[in-house]
Amino acid sequence: MAIIVELPRLSDTMEEGVIAKWHVAVGDKVKRGQMIAEVETDKATMEFESFDSGVVLKLIAAEGESMKIGTPIAVLGKAGEDPEAAISSRSGGGGAAAPKAEAPAEPAPKAEAPKAEAPKAEAPKSEAPKAAPAAKAPASAPALPREDERIAASPLARRIAREHGLALAEVSGSGPHGRIVKTDVEAAVARGGAASPAAPAATASVTTTGGRPYYSRPDEPQKLSQMRKAIARRMAQANTEIPHFYLTTTVDMRAAVALRGELKNALPDTKVSFNDLVLLATAKALETHPGVNAYWDGQTIVRRGDIHVGVAVALDDGLIVPVVRFANQKSLKTIATEVRDLGTRARDKKLTPEEMTGSTFTVSNLGMFGISDFCAVVNPGEGAILAVGAITDEIIAVKGAPAVGQRMRITLSCDHRVMDGAVGAAFLATLRGLLEQPLSMLA
Amino acid sequence: MPILQIREAIRDAMDEEMARDERVFLMGEEVGYYNGAYKASEGLLDKYGEKRVVDTPIAEAGFAGVGIGAAMAGLRPIIEFMTFNFSAVAFDQILNNAAKMRQLTAGQFTVPIVFRGPNAAAHMLGSTHSQAFESFYCGFPGVKVISVATPYDAKGLLKSAIRDENPVLFFESEVMYGVKGEVPEEEYLIPIGKADIKRPGSDVTVITWGQGVPVCLEAARLAEADGIDCEVIDLRTLRPLDDEAVFESVRKTNRVVLCYHGWPYGGTGAEVADRIARVCFDHLDAPVERVCYEDINMAYAENLEQLTLPTPEKALEAIRAVSYHRS
Repeated sequence: MAIIVELPRLSDTMEEGVIAKWHVAVGDKVKRGQMIAEVETDKATMEFESFDSGVVLKLIAAEGESMKIGTPIAVLGKAGEDPEAAISSRSGGGGAAAPKAEAPAEPAPKAEAPKAEAPKAEAPKSEAPKAAPAAKAPASAPALPREDERIAASPLARRIAREHGLALAEVSGSGPHGRIVKTDVEAAVARGGAASPAAPAATASVTTTGGRPYYSRPDEPQKLSQMRKAIARRMAQANTEIPHFYLTTTVDMRAAVALRGELKNALPDTKVSFNDLVLLATAKALETHPGVNAYWDGQTIVRRGDIHVGVAVALDDGLIVPVVRFANQKSLKTIATEVRDLGTRARDKKLTPEEMTGSTFTVSNLGMFGISDFCAVVNPGEGAILAVGAITDEIIAVKGAPAVGQRMRITLSCDHRVMDGAVGAAFLATLRGLLEQPLSMLA
Repeated sequence: MPILQIREAIRDAMDEEMARDERVFLMGEEVGYYNGAYKASEGLLDKYGEKRVVDTPIAEAGFAGVGIGAAMAGLRPIIEFMTFNFSAVAFDQILNNAAKMRQLTAGQFTVPIVFRGPNAAAHMLGSTHSQAFESFYCGFPGVKVISVATPYDAKGLLKSAIRDENPVLFFESEVMYGVKGEVPEEEYLIPIGKADIKRPGSDVTVITWGQGVPVCLEAARLAEADGIDCEVIDLRTLRPLDDEAVFESVRKTNRVVLCYHGWPYGGTGAEVADRIARVCFDHLDAPVERVCYEDINMAYAENLEQLTLPTPEKALEAIRAVSYHRS
C-alpha cells in the first residue's frame, strides 16, 4: 500500500512550511534517510529526509506553496501503484491543502470510487467495539481500521477517537511527524469534525476617472516567507510589549582603525572586520555589566549566565540572527572566523535552528550601508540591542584645534523594565573605552 | 521532628536494629575505627565492640562471602561496600551465593543479609568509580534492591531491609549523605516495594530514584514556567517494583519521563518503560522518554562528566517533549 508523506515539523516553533525545492521527481526511487526536498520553515531552509523508502508516485505539494505541518506532500509506494487510492483513503474528511497542485483532470473527490473498499472499516465502527470478537469469524482476522494503521497517532489519541467514533483521517496531527495526539482528537471532537474552508480570491484591476483617466493597478498582497512572518510577529510583539529607550554615543575609532590595519598584516588568513571588534568589545562589556545581559521574563528580570551575542545578518527577503556563543570567552580571531562562516551559511539559509537561537544580546550593524546612526528594536528575550553606524572621517577638536579623526556612532536600545538609563550609559562607556583602546581587550 | 542527614539516619537505623537484635552486625572496610568512610557508622564500634563492628581487609569477595556464610548460619549481617563499584569484585558471591542459596537448598537456608553503600556517579571519580549498579542487581531473581534519597526513607527502609529474610542491596550516594530531612523520633518501618510520590501533579509522570530525585524535583519546578504540572514518583524499591503506583500515575497523566543515574542500554529504566508500554499502552499520549547517562564510560573531566549526567535541564527537555510543548 502506498505511503503518504506529510510535511514534517523541522523546528520547535514550526507551524507551517513551504517546499522550497523538490529533489525528487515522480518515478524516482527514494531510500529512507534520503533528502527529498528542501523545506522553508520560519527559521531556515531545512533538508527533509524521507522517513520511508519507495518509488515516488506523486508530488502533491507544489514548490512555493505554504502548508500546515502534517499536510500530505507526496506519495511513495511500489512502481505502478495508484497514488490516488492512498490519497482518498487518507483525506476522507477533506484535508487542508489537498491535491490542488497537479491533479490533472480528476479533482480529488473522483477518487471516491475505489473508496467502496477502504472505508468499510470505518462503517462498522458504531457496532465494532463489542461485536467484533464474537461473530465475523471468516472476515480477515484483525478488524483493524486499515487506513488508520498508517496514520501516526498516540495510543491514547486512538482510544479517544475510537470512543467518539471519530476517524483519525479526519484529524490533523500536531505532534512530531504529524502524530495525532490527545489534544488534536479532543479539539476535533469539540469541533465535531470538518476543517475550515479556504480564503477568498483577490480583486481585478480597474480604471478610474478624475477629470482624466488614470490607470489603476490593484494592490497585491505578497506571499510571505516563513521568515517574514516570524519577523512580523516578533517585531510587533517587541514594539508593543517592550518599553524602549535609546542611548547614543560617539566612539573615537582611530586606534581601532590602526589596529585593524596591523591585524590585516599579522593575520593574512583571517579577515577581521570592525564589526568583529565591536562584537568582542560588546561581549567583554557585557561581562562587566551583567545587568545589560538580562531580560524580562514576564514577572522578573533574569540575568543570563552566559554571553551569547547575536549578529543581525541581512538577507534578500529578511533578516536572520546567528549567534556567537560564549563570545566573551573567544578570541578575536575565533569570532572573526565564526562570524564569516555563520554569515555565509545564513545567506545560503543553511544554518541549523540551534545556530539561530539562544542569543542573550544582539548587535546590528548598518555601517556598511553608510548609516550614521539608528535605533534597533530589542529582540524579545533580550534586554538590549546595539545599533552600530558607519565609521566616518569627521572634523574633531584635538587640544582645541580642528583635526580629522575617525568616528563611529553606536546606539543602545534598552528594555526599560530591565535597566535604567544609567545602567545602559555605564555599559556604553565601558564599550566605548574598549573600542578606543582596543589593545585592552586583547590582553 | 528532628532533622537528620542521610548518614545519620543510616547510622540510627543500624544502631536501633543492632540494639534490638544481637544477631545483627556490621562488616566492611573502615566501618569501625574510622567510623565509616562516609561516617555512616559513627559511634557504633564504641557502642557494640569489635565483635559486631568488624573492620575488614580490602577484600570484597572475601568479606561478602563471609557475610553470606554468617547469614546462612543464622546471623543478620550488614555488609558495607565503600562504594558499590567495589562490589564488582564480590559479584559472584552476590549473584551465585546470596541470590540463589535459598532456592538451591530448597529453603533450608535463607540469606538475610544487607549489602549497603554508595552507588552511581558522585563527583569526578572517573569511569571505574562512577557506576550505577541497579541495572545489574535488579536483574537477579532472589534479591531485593532499594535506593534512597531522603533521611526518612533511608532509615525506614534500611530497618526493613535488615529484618528481611532475603538478600537486600541498599543503594546510597556519596553526594547525598549530607542531605537533611525530618526523621521521627519514634520507631517506624517503610515497607519494601512501595514507591512514594515526592510531588503530586497532573500532566507528566516523572519516575526516578536515588540521586535522580533532586534532579527531577528541580526539573518539575522548572516545568512550572511552561505550565506543565509534573508528578514526581520516587520508586524507592527497584526490585520488587511498585507497578501499581506507576500505572496509576500514568493513567492520570498519559505521559512519562524516566530520569535516573545509569546507562541507557537495558536495565531498570528500560524495564519500567517496558511495563508501562505494555500495561498502559492505551493511556500513552507520547512515547516514554528516558534521561540517564550518555552511553559512554564516565569521564574524569568535570565538564565532560556534567555532559554525561542527567540534569534538570535535560529532564525538562524530555518533559517538554512528551508534553508536545512548543517554546
